[in-house]
Amino acid sequence: MSGLGQELGVAIVTGLLQGCVYALVALGIVLVFRASGVFNFAQAEFGTTGLFAAYAALTLWGWSYTWAIVFGLGVAVAMGLLTERLVVHPLRNASRVTVLVGTAGVALAAIGIQFWQFNETLIMTMPRIVDSLFLVPVIGAPVTVQQLITLGVLIVASVMLALFFRSPAGLTIQAAQQEPTAAELVGISVRRVSMLTWAMAALLGGLAGILSGPNLTFTAGFLSFGAGRALLPGFMAAVLAGMRSMPGAVAGGLTVGVVEQMGTLSMMIEVPGARAMLLFGFLLVVLMVKPHGIFVPRAAATA
Amino acid sequence: MSETTQVLPAVPADANDETTVVPAVEPPFRPSRAGWTARGVVWAALAWVVLALPLNILSPFEVGVTDVDVASLAVIYAIGALSLNVLLGYCGQISLGHQAFVGVGAFASAYIVTNLQLSFFLAVGVAALFGAVQAVLLGAVSLRLTGLYFALVTLAYGSFAQETLFGITSLTGGEGGKPAPRPDFFTSGYRYYYLCLGFLALVLWIDWRLTASKAGRAMAALRENPRVASSYGIDVRAYILVAFAVSGLFAGVAGSLVAHHDEVIVPSSFDFRLALLFVLMTVVGGLRSRTGVVLGAVFFALLEEGALVSMFGLEGFFEGLLGLPTEFVSLVVGPILLVLTLTLYPGGIGQQVAPIRLWLTGHRFDRHAGRVDDVEVTDVRA
Repeated sequence: MSGLGQELGVAIVTGLLQGCVYALVALGIVLVFRASGVFNFAQAEFGTTGLFAAYAALTLWGWSYTWAIVFGLGVAVAMGLLTERLVVHPLRNASRVTVLVGTAGVALAAIGIQFWQFNETLIMTMPRIVDSLFLVPVIGAPVTVQQLITLGVLIVASVMLALFFRSPAGLTIQAAQQEPTAAELVGISVRRVSMLTWAMAALLGGLAGILSGPNLTFTAGFLSFGAGRALLPGFMAAVLAGMRSMPGAVAGGLTVGVVEQMGTLSMMIEVPGARAMLLFGFLLVVLMVKPHGIFVPRAAATA
Repeated sequence: MSETTQVLPAVPADANDETTVVPAVEPPFRPSRAGWTARGVVWAALAWVVLALPLNILSPFEVGVTDVDVASLAVIYAIGALSLNVLLGYCGQISLGHQAFVGVGAFASAYIVTNLQLSFFLAVGVAALFGAVQAVLLGAVSLRLTGLYFALVTLAYGSFAQETLFGITSLTGGEGGKPAPRPDFFTSGYRYYYLCLGFLALVLWIDWRLTASKAGRAMAALRENPRVASSYGIDVRAYILVAFAVSGLFAGVAGSLVAHHDEVIVPSSFDFRLALLFVLMTVVGGLRSRTGVVLGAVFFALLEEGALVSMFGLEGFFEGLLGLPTEFVSLVVGPILLVLTLTLYPGGIGQQVAPIRLWLTGHRFDRHAGRVDDVEVTDVRA
């Protein structure tokens, strides 16, 4: 294959796989936005916190990988529940920008605690679940098994979410989100639903963190502004989904991943920070042209 | 109950006559001579802390150059926080990319002084102008967007500026950094502190004039409800752009000062953490309270540089007892204070010091002065 074609192929494959992480983050953001109308800036930090917990369990305490993952996810969920209790619920009558500042505060607190607890080793690495790497035939893009596992987890998570929202429990969540007062009247505990959604969002964030961390070295704030930055791409994916659609969040995450990887093409090598520039431009274009999102089911778009 | 349902006493026909309406006006409160003396003493003490202490005048302490540099940084942060306060406090527009506002000013100023060999004072002016222009451009975008989406754009703008704009090596010196020498007369840390203080005074004056003017009232109105505001003939778009311009102006000044404070600036110092720090300073300080925002900025600057911890001898507590290194104290303590501010004391530091502030300006001491029931960052635009 020719130079540019192959480069493009590599960028698309890498972008799609990186997009899986963004999609996981975006799913959490959409879930929380539907439940509480909150832009959750702590979503990425659920992931980093889970990652750090898994790292501590695996490399410092010598647990098995399975238990390390379970522990990491547990810590992420606990953090999600604490955020709901300590910040989001007390601020339920405050304005949405206020709650946004509150979740940003949670993110900052998490970063601070990560720095504090792990200040001996500033840059950390964690072994992958399966440490092997292969080249995709024809295109020649390097792919780690870890990334394939991430893709698999994303598919499983999407299917399970889709099934869940058709189950009775999922329907109560939808009811509580659409009309809280009416839901209370028919006996749904909106409070419990809110806790449940935050726990699910934190779980998704934790998965994103634990699965993407081993691909790179990580520091505190890894998913917010560190090497594995997924907060902004996750939000952009959620915007593409109109902040409402779950399948849209997955599609949006993959799209954002590919768009971002275009910045690594050799024609962009002269441009400093090409990836950040592309993301900024892309976000502006989307918000100017299609502010209600692209990957939105037609019924939701008209609503 | 039956009494209340009885016939009301007949209202005299001339009840509305102005001669009958004599409101009992209490004479305005005037402090006694002792009260004025006490206030004067406190004012003198404050002036001493701000003006004389860093220069070791009449001071039992020995303030070194590094401590004065921290004090200068606190003053600069106060300017930056006031800049965010214009957007977040007066207009209810959150900016998560404020590090870019400051950074643009910093690099503009460094470029003018280092590459063009022009004077520092010109550079401050141009930096302020640059800050205002980029803020207005971003603000023009925000006119089309609602509150939460605008927060996203600023977040993306921040990382775009940090990596792309500040990554242009020919302008910013890239990772190696850009030298930004101090002006001739102000090379010593002590003199530079007074320079920063002068700029803070200027910024406070502009901010005060802004809020006291028609523009300030227009902003308050459009923050509460842009539709109602525009129905009263307020040009909502124009005043939002004015707010962005003023905010960018302040941020540009802060950037220029921080550049020449550090004397070498690198792009990585303008990262997302700085933006969050500005949000912390403004919200914990107390939105729309000038005193509070300045105090909040000083508090976090001193905390960030570890000066506050060592001042009170708390290293033992934080490092020994909690195992928390001094440089991370602000990261752990700050967010906790933020959440406390949001949920329990929405007025922030400004609310806490309001009784003292009012007392100092010659009012009666009222413990409940300045109470705010909610952080009124209204999101009508959201």
